[in-house]
Amino acid sequence: MGFLEDLEKEQVKDLPLRDAIVINEHTIARAAIALMRSNDLGCSVIVQREWEPTGIFTEQSVIRMLHEGASLDSNPVSKFRDPSYRCVGLTDSIRTVWDAVVEEGMRFMCVVDHEGQLVGLAGQRSLADYVCDCYARQVAVQRLGSKPWMLEREGA
Amino acid sequence: MTEYRRFDAPADPLSNFEPPTYRDTTAELLGEHHVGNVACQPYLSVESTCTVEEAIRELYQSGVSSLLVVEEGNLVGIFTERDVLERVAERYSRVKHLPVAEFMTSDPTIVYSEEPAAAAVAAIAIAGHRHVPVLDMDDQIEGIVSPRRVFQFIETSWD
Repeated sequence: MGFLEDLEKEQVKDLPLRDAIVINEHTIARAAIALMRSNDLGCSVIVQREWEPTGIFTEQSVIRMLHEGASLDSNPVSKFRDPSYRCVGLTDSIRTVWDAVVEEGMRFMCVVDHEGQLVGLAGQRSLADYVCDCYARQVAVQRLGSKPWMLEREGA
Repeated sequence: MTEYRRFDAPADPLSNFEPPTYRDTTAELLGEHHVGNVACQPYLSVESTCTVEEAIRELYQSGVSSLLVVEEGNLVGIFTERDVLERVAERYSRVKHLPVAEFMTSDPTIVYSEEPAAAAVAAIAIAGHRHVPVLDMDDQIEGIVSPRRVFQFIETSWD
């Protein structure tokens, strides 16, 4: 079976999802940034009651705030939501995420269950891990940061 | 008296060669094509003396997530959104006039354009870097690869 068929057959729940950082719309930007930094994650998900996502605050939101000179201490995250926000269902095909990343440049997608509650994050990193798992024989053997040996060899 | 020994020419030196086998066309693409085949341009670069404020303006106005930092045309680091989050954001007013070189990621993970395309996947998935500079064999910058660019490259194996 080819990779394209795998993407269409397998579901988002088969991806290595990441735990999301959850904040509400009133969270101050500085607090969200501290959470993102300490969790080594590039976004926080803005949720309302029952863990229902309503938006996303990302590293690009931070860049925008700094560029505009907005105070991190007096602005809630809701004022600087990232416009590239989308949810995807656990049972949707991985192809859905793939197309959003490739065609629209999405970095993060909120994964929700059948009740619309947030269960995790999918996106570029998840897909890269998925590709790595599918093609471990090609990917896992690479020596990063060293010149290809044939070109480094004496006399080559 | 000189002795002569019979020299039998060896059989075909490639007789034991087993060409790699691939599970599908995507595996073959990753194993046989080079990083140089992945679209790695355009990219943006700034001098290491550029200030943090200028670099952030560049990130914002261009909409990109990373800038290559160069000195005399040579790569010395990379300044990404993650560097902003980790080292700049919470003390921006104090550091915005300092050179970006103080806050960039020095000695970033790189891939060479002659390496298999799978190396770009490894740099992203295993080393965990979202933006990976691509250098030629003379260590000159060719561009940068990102997950999106690698995925677009993988799609060419679906035709």
